[in-house]
Amino acid sequence: MSASRKERDAAAAKLSLEKEQRKLGNLMALPAQLLLVFIVAFPLLMQLYVSTTWWSPLDGVPWYMAYESWNWFANYSDLVQDSRLWGAIWRTLLIVIVCVPAQFLLGLGLATLFVDSFPGKTIFYTLLLMPMMVVPAVVGYMFFLLFQQSGPINDLIGVFAGGPAEINWLNDVNLAMVAVMIAEIWEWTPLMFLILLAGLSGVPEDQMRAARLLGANAWQRFWRIVMPRMKTVIIIALVLRTVESLKVFDTLFIMTVGGPGVATESISLYIYKRTFQDLEWSYVASIGLFVLVALSLLAGLGIWFMVRKSTKPAQVATAQQGGALALQEAK
Amino acid sequence: MRPSPAQIALRYVLIILATAIVLIPILWMISLAFKPYNEWQTAATGVHWWPKNPTLGNFEYIFTGQTEGLVVSLDFTAVRPIFASLLTASLGTILAVIVGTLGAYAVSRFKVANNLPLSVLQLRLFPPLAVMIPVMIMWAYLGMIDTWWGLSLIYTIVTLPFSFWLMKTFFDEVPLEIEEAALVEGCSRFRVFWKVTLPMVKAGIASTILFVFILNWSDYLMALLLTRKDWVTIPVYMNALATAMSGQLYGMKAALGLIAAIPPVILGLSIQRYLVRGLTFGALKQ
Repeated sequence: MSASRKERDAAAAKLSLEKEQRKLGNLMALPAQLLLVFIVAFPLLMQLYVSTTWWSPLDGVPWYMAYESWNWFANYSDLVQDSRLWGAIWRTLLIVIVCVPAQFLLGLGLATLFVDSFPGKTIFYTLLLMPMMVVPAVVGYMFFLLFQQSGPINDLIGVFAGGPAEINWLNDVNLAMVAVMIAEIWEWTPLMFLILLAGLSGVPEDQMRAARLLGANAWQRFWRIVMPRMKTVIIIALVLRTVESLKVFDTLFIMTVGGPGVATESISLYIYKRTFQDLEWSYVASIGLFVLVALSLLAGLGIWFMVRKSTKPAQVATAQQGGALALQEAK
Repeated sequence: MRPSPAQIALRYVLIILATAIVLIPILWMISLAFKPYNEWQTAATGVHWWPKNPTLGNFEYIFTGQTEGLVVSLDFTAVRPIFASLLTASLGTILAVIVGTLGAYAVSRFKVANNLPLSVLQLRLFPPLAVMIPVMIMWAYLGMIDTWWGLSLIYTIVTLPFSFWLMKTFFDEVPLEIEEAALVEGCSRFRVFWKVTLPMVKAGIASTILFVFILNWSDYLMALLLTRKDWVTIPVYMNALATAMSGQLYGMKAALGLIAAIPPVILGLSIQRYLVRGLTFGALKQ
């Protein structure tokens, strides 16, 4: 009898501890929750509201009175026909399609050079990481300087071509895009390098040695042993860079301001110009929501795809975090 | 199987080539920062990689507003933007790390606030410009445009995903048994967090602070959207730096770019160990 009372007491103590923990936990999470309500829930409703009106800060009417110029979905039907917006979307996708794989391949190539140790490894490693730590706006300015018509890039080309090069990089419709992409690749290849090298270093040495003894050549070792272990790392690296590249703004804005004309105008740049040059805030709000919904669908699709693929229990240790993320969403 | 001499040579050639590509843009800007006025325009003097007459005039000009050889003086020097960058990035960092740490501990230990990990992450998913209209309206309505607290607040929000996820991985690494032992000894739950767990993740907190500070310091867009004059940060000031009389101040911009670039590079290299973890929101640990 006393034993059961002890058990009951213990259970009660445990319950009260759990209650205390729950209370404390909710309290500790409160600041983050409040910030989220402040910056996500409320603004989204506001954006939806404003996007169904003609409101502009020039109207002299506060935003909550925007219903005076209610237009239902006129902004959204304008958006479908806005060729400049679709151009910007296309250019943003082009930057992603070119730069992310380029960063990935260059980063992977570099990472394979750094797997074994060699004299000078640390210093080269440190130097190679520098671009991604330089402030992006400064990277934009660096490449703005490099691609001047009488700048060092043309000088270098001139040295190899054997005559002075007079390429007007940033004022040429096609070359401006090339210049911008080079800057993007320069800045973010180190990130791919860093992540992929972390993944490569996780491949067990003894397995590689065993495979070598069994007569597997470098190509087979790469595809059979390295790649399966690298899968999660690669997915994470690609997803990260894709998400970030879709936002591309700083370097573009400083190098070309989207020009010449609209030749390097990305989604973010187009939105910026419509916001500050044309002050069409309600229209911009509708574009923003459209981008938000499109990206959410894309992200949802990606997560669904990853969850379906990763239901197998065998997972790399490092994958657990990434997998946990996807699983939480699935719940 | 040792690599052959040819393989070793090839590796060094490739690595040195990559390093050169990485360094050229940086060196060019550094060199420009020390070039006097008449060497900026390469058209006149030809491209030379090293300043012929190295000078600190560009730095002098952005700090004091005047320098030898430039008639036009600068009314608005870089001192205030540097101060603005330091203040807003630091405040935003402190707030983000406090809020992130508390939230991360709650999620890591108490099985509450299950929405937090993903809701916080989604802050990072979308292009900020797609959601800036309501933010700008709110900031204007609350009188926070072009103020230090307005910019610090947005920095807190923008970097919360990183501080939250990083701290969560550090808390997840602390064994539960240690906390349980302290609980048995009669510590209150909060005391356990404050006196037992927090000291154990000190190194984690320090690297989270540095990581988040780098991100805030590197921001361009938020300051561009939410400041006008008084609280512009270094990158915004840098890009606008020009005078009506002498046009683009290339050398000064380069000098300022150098000043802006140094802190994140130094801080970033000092937390190399945690870079992978930070950049992947803790999904990968080195």
